[in-house]
Amino acid sequence: MADMLKVTLDSRDGLAVVYTEGYINNQGGEEIAKVAYDLIEEGQKCVLLNLAGTKIVNSIGISILIEIIEKMLEIDGKLAFCSLTPTIEKTFHIMGLAQYASIFPDEDSAVAALTS
Amino acid sequence: MSPAEPLRDAPSPWKDLLEQAGSGRSSSAILDRLATEFLHSSNLGSFGLYRLEDEQYSRRFIAGAEPLPATFGVADVGAYATREIPGGIMLYEPGPAREGQLDEHLLLTLLCALEAAELGNQLKRHSFAANLRGVELQSLYDVGLAIAGTLDQDKLGDEVLLRAVSLLDARVGALYLRDGDEYRLDRTFGGDARERVASDDPGLVALLEGETSGEPLLPGTQYPLCVPIEADVKPLGLLVVADKESRTGVGPFAEADERMLGLFANQAAIALENANLHRQALEKERLERELDLAADIQRQLLPTVLPDVEGYEFAGWSRPARHVGGDYYDLQGSAEEGVHLVLGDVSGKGMPAALLVSTLHSALRLLLSARPFDAELVRSVNSHIADSSAANKFITMTAARLDPTSGSMRYVNAGHNPPLLVRRDGSIEELPPGGMPLGIVGNAPYADASIDLKAGDLLCIFSDGITECETPEGEEYGPERLGDLLRSVAEAPLTEIIEAIDRTCVDFAAGGPQGDDQTVVLVRRSA
Repeated sequence: MADMLKVTLDSRDGLAVVYTEGYINNQGGEEIAKVAYDLIEEGQKCVLLNLAGTKIVNSIGISILIEIIEKMLEIDGKLAFCSLTPTIEKTFHIMGLAQYASIFPDEDSAVAALTS
Repeated sequence: MSPAEPLRDAPSPWKDLLEQAGSGRSSSAILDRLATEFLHSSNLGSFGLYRLEDEQYSRRFIAGAEPLPATFGVADVGAYATREIPGGIMLYEPGPAREGQLDEHLLLTLLCALEAAELGNQLKRHSFAANLRGVELQSLYDVGLAIAGTLDQDKLGDEVLLRAVSLLDARVGALYLRDGDEYRLDRTFGGDARERVASDDPGLVALLEGETSGEPLLPGTQYPLCVPIEADVKPLGLLVVADKESRTGVGPFAEADERMLGLFANQAAIALENANLHRQALEKERLERELDLAADIQRQLLPTVLPDVEGYEFAGWSRPARHVGGDYYDLQGSAEEGVHLVLGDVSGKGMPAALLVSTLHSALRLLLSARPFDAELVRSVNSHIADSSAANKFITMTAARLDPTSGSMRYVNAGHNPPLLVRRDGSIEELPPGGMPLGIVGNAPYADASIDLKAGDLLCIFSDGITECETPEGEEYGPERLGDLLRSVAEAPLTEIIEAIDRTCVDFAAGGPQGDDQTVVLVRRSA
């Protein structure tokens, strides 16, 4: 049985922080999307995805992340990422995610920038 | 459909929206707004836009309260009002108050926006696919860099496996390494994998041929793909992934995926080979260090101080063919005690021979310190060597005791090539064997003999590495040439005689490798 992505949610200074642990593939992406869309429904306009616990992302996971970014843009919201592995950060740049979502090296710098 | 604000009073109503729809961003919201306006201005309850494909209408867009079919046949339009549109048809349900006129202008705008949105989505898909190719190339490049930048097999294994799983959209993956006649699981990602699999496992053989049968390598998966990791046809491991993901589930991998996995397997092969070569280099370095240490130990077995006896000169020299050798010599004693001379040559070369040299050294030193030198002492040494060496190992040896006062020298030649005694008048005598080499027969008999050294006589005991050194054509130097050389330099300082023997052997071999250990012991009675 394939390992499932674990998603946990926390709040820092009013900012929703979503932590992932595992593979962001189709199932993992859907898990993240479910949490993100619930946050949008609740009126949350800024979400930080902390991927410190994720080593790899596949193309299905990326397409779901792009959809989440588009949803956030439709409500003039913002999705940001932090704590990416160098490989994932490079992938996000090549796939164009970095054009519409900010990427921060760690959670503290992300929270500082997004809540200022 | 969510309620949307009518566009009727908006300045520059649709031009900006059409551009936005074409950009792919927020296109669904824009289409919703145009559809709401169209429903309102045309007084419709609902409408749907359909594309004609293979005698069938399929829905591209729907708006309004009434349910409209997803597909229907050309001859099955039913009770709905229709309006032909480019490439298809529009079904619509008139509103309850009155049957209004269709807002043709807004319908055209809506169709343009829908077209723009679809083109935008197509562009996004193509862009996504192109970017994905970029990620694939970048990954192969990065793995190549990682291989060049580290020899950490653990890190390289992760690099190859994780990128293969990620780029092939696999749900599970595993890396196996060859271990004898089977493959051992090195690491897995995303799920379980069999710990070991025989190289001739029918399921594996089938899998490598693109078929699935038997116990799966990755339990619980449906669509495995496996490629061998090979270097020069030598199997090093397996790279396995399973269950290619899509938004609707999992399926089999395509041919392009197999090619991509093969590229990663090639990278893994390079990484594994590099790591193996590095390990071998480290092992070789360690062995070199040990051999250097062994050579140091063996050098310490040779005398560092030569006997200082008035009226005699002594010299010894040894050069092993490898780090350590099977030749050994000893010179020890004094005018009062007499001088013991030994030259031994263990069969073979290298470390095994060097170990037997140590045994010979210990036995001789112990026995010579306890009893006088004679044939009986050599018999004891032979018995000890026979007991402590392998059956195919033996030692040729000439050992002697010189009485400096009388010049009498008692010797035993145990199967050694006869030492040469160059008399002052230039004549040469050989010291023939008095028994077989040591270590062959434990109770072999040995006979000693005596010669007298007179003023000006030069004795040369040597190993066969001197007389058997060869020209590139295979001609041996031989004892006759050595005798001639000794005769020609008999009055030179002993160090110069040794240099002459060394130089002559090197010149004779004409650049060829030193085939055997070379050792010389010289004694000259000067007065």
